[in-house]
Amino acid sequence: MADKKKWKKILYENQGVPDNYVDETFLDEMRKNVYTREYEYWNVVKESGTLTQQASSVCIFVVIFIYMDNNSIKPEILFIVSSILTLIGYIVYHVISHNNGIAQGNSRTWWDDFKTCVIFIGFGFGLSPVLMTLTDTISTDTIYAMTAFMLIANVIFHDYSATAPVVSGALSLNAAIFASVCLASRLHTTWHAFATVSFAVEIFALWPEFRRKLKKNVQYSQVTMTITLGVATSVSIATVSLTGAVIFSLLHIFVTFICPAWLISLQPYKNNIYGPWDEAVIEK
Amino acid sequence: MKARSEFRNVHHVCMVSDFFYPNMGGVESHIYHLAQCLRARGHKVIIVTHAYGNRTGIRYLTNGMKAYYLPMLPFYNQCALPTVFTTLPIMRQIFIREKITVVHGHSAFSTLAHEAMFHARTMNINAVFTDHSLFGFADASSIITNAILRFSLSGVNHGICVSNTSKENTVLRSGINPELVSVIPNAVDAVMFTPDPSQRTPGQITIVVVSRLVYRKGIDLLAGVIPSICEKYPDVQFLIGGDGPKRVLLEEVREQHQLHNRVKLLGTIAHTEVRNVLVKGDIFLNPSLTEAFCIAIVEAASCGLQVVSTRVGGVPEVLPPEFIRLAQPSVSSLLTEVEGAIHDHRMGLYLPVHVAHNRIKAMYRWQDVARQTEAVYDRLQLSPALDSWERITMYRNSGPFAGIIFTMLAIINYFFLWFLEWWQPLENIDVLSEAPLDTSGSFSDNHDITGSSSNRKLCKEN
Repeated sequence: MADKKKWKKILYENQGVPDNYVDETFLDEMRKNVYTREYEYWNVVKESGTLTQQASSVCIFVVIFIYMDNNSIKPEILFIVSSILTLIGYIVYHVISHNNGIAQGNSRTWWDDFKTCVIFIGFGFGLSPVLMTLTDTISTDTIYAMTAFMLIANVIFHDYSATAPVVSGALSLNAAIFASVCLASRLHTTWHAFATVSFAVEIFALWPEFRRKLKKNVQYSQVTMTITLGVATSVSIATVSLTGAVIFSLLHIFVTFICPAWLISLQPYKNNIYGPWDEAVIEK
Repeated sequence: MKARSEFRNVHHVCMVSDFFYPNMGGVESHIYHLAQCLRARGHKVIIVTHAYGNRTGIRYLTNGMKAYYLPMLPFYNQCALPTVFTTLPIMRQIFIREKITVVHGHSAFSTLAHEAMFHARTMNINAVFTDHSLFGFADASSIITNAILRFSLSGVNHGICVSNTSKENTVLRSGINPELVSVIPNAVDAVMFTPDPSQRTPGQITIVVVSRLVYRKGIDLLAGVIPSICEKYPDVQFLIGGDGPKRVLLEEVREQHQLHNRVKLLGTIAHTEVRNVLVKGDIFLNPSLTEAFCIAIVEAASCGLQVVSTRVGGVPEVLPPEFIRLAQPSVSSLLTEVEGAIHDHRMGLYLPVHVAHNRIKAMYRWQDVARQTEAVYDRLQLSPALDSWERITMYRNSGPFAGIIFTMLAIINYFFLWFLEWWQPLENIDVLSEAPLDTSGSFSDNHDITGSSSNRKLCKEN
């Protein structure tokens, strides 16, 4: 071709170029990292609290179990203290909802909540002799191994308000309750079993919901909560095992400060490619 | 072209793919047509695929084209189990017996094709690969296929893609030099897709859709378009061919809007019947979400239909603007374009069917595909052959971690080949005697599946 026409990206005409011709417009339509999010270090540090808070809760649960196993804490005391704390939490939760003018979508009254609570306590108390002997025949090592697995599953699948396929609130809660039933059978009386299971429900079902509410509506609550829980957990672990406390603190610091820096340092390596070959997304 | 025909190399080509007749689809008919047309140009072509049911061993298709159905079980989506090395003995036997000079693999999904090309390179036979599909980069399955492709293509001599978009995609996925990838579009058997306006319903406008009814083909878009069009234009009816999981959705729409007499669902239609459905229509609608080339719109245009399609993948490259209306992948945009097409139809603003047919016939011909593919084979013979060491270095350079694994696989394959050369020496393998190439059609009684005699004529006219 004498007059060099501009090459067009078409197939229906012979453009007089070899089949393996590479035009300068090659890959022009390629886009990189279109939907990348920019992270800000201190923000990520703050958000990492969501994870460490849950890990702290799990540790506190285990520590309480050890206390009860040693008879350092009476189940009655645990039950009363945890109930009072739950009641306070319940009131604060409703005050926050009220102040923010959030309409109760599911029109539950305090009377409904009270009924649920009574039913739960009644059944829990009635069934605790069964719970206590449920896993009696299984060796203690197996129980501990199972508990460890279940608590790790709780931390992994917990709903940290991230949209990922791995998140499953139901799985996470069930794993934790299963762990508490396992542990309950290693204790001494039905009171122990009852106190453990009701404490587990409070700390694994109600407590995360409360934290979520606080985080959303109360300024600085996230940071305060992370620090308070972290310190409280470290101290309580220290009363049982100093090594455990050191490991926990180091992990806590690792997750809070080093992981965010790591994430941000890896961000430039992100290389997402988009182009006309992608499956189209139906536009609304 | 004349200069080339004076001294023409005869290539002994081995087409390899997991996908071949009796399986039906774009890749299958591509291989069949390309092979027939290459044979008509005087080359020797055999086809290697895996066994389909009790169809094993060697079969002869139309024109005495030989197909090896290797005794392997497909394990997923008609693909052979990827074993990397175990296919070497039988591939070596076939390559030596048939004196193969080029191994041509088809489709990135086909494990058999990747393995055959890998063995061919180990035996220092040229390998060419045709990529028929587009891939994203995000989900797990494409990450795995891309890794396999990177390995496979770092050994291959030349790649062929069906559209420019497909070439960009392949180059990105495999990291191959773009100079080593040719764009050779698909073709249509224009003899099979002739227009017949007498089949149309007078006074009515028929919109035809022929596609598998799956999400990727944009059936959700179609379900959004149907009710609005039917409401607005009482003289429009829909004719939908194909089957799949999204059929329920279309039936639901039909039920909801009481459109039973205006939306016909035909179910699966055989490839030979597609033309008879197409000619009943005035407008062809392709709502697909991803396409490397989209042969369906070319077939429809060849039958003289106006085409409306989504602007995805290689679709914008395929047809000149006077044949096609392109829409964004949204219901509203697609509606606008379909309405535009209906308007054009009423005003008579479309190409006369026979003009359209003749233009398409000249645009996408299998003979051209065969000629261009032959040019690729010719070029391979001119390029210097790599020795084993250079080839291994090439694998090594294809990635910091993957490169090590690729290199190891290549070296193991060399050792395996040396072992085979000792165990089954070359002189013990029967090499086929140079029988005269059969292009006269003496085997033509053996119409295997599609054996279209029209096709044979078509390929010989060149």
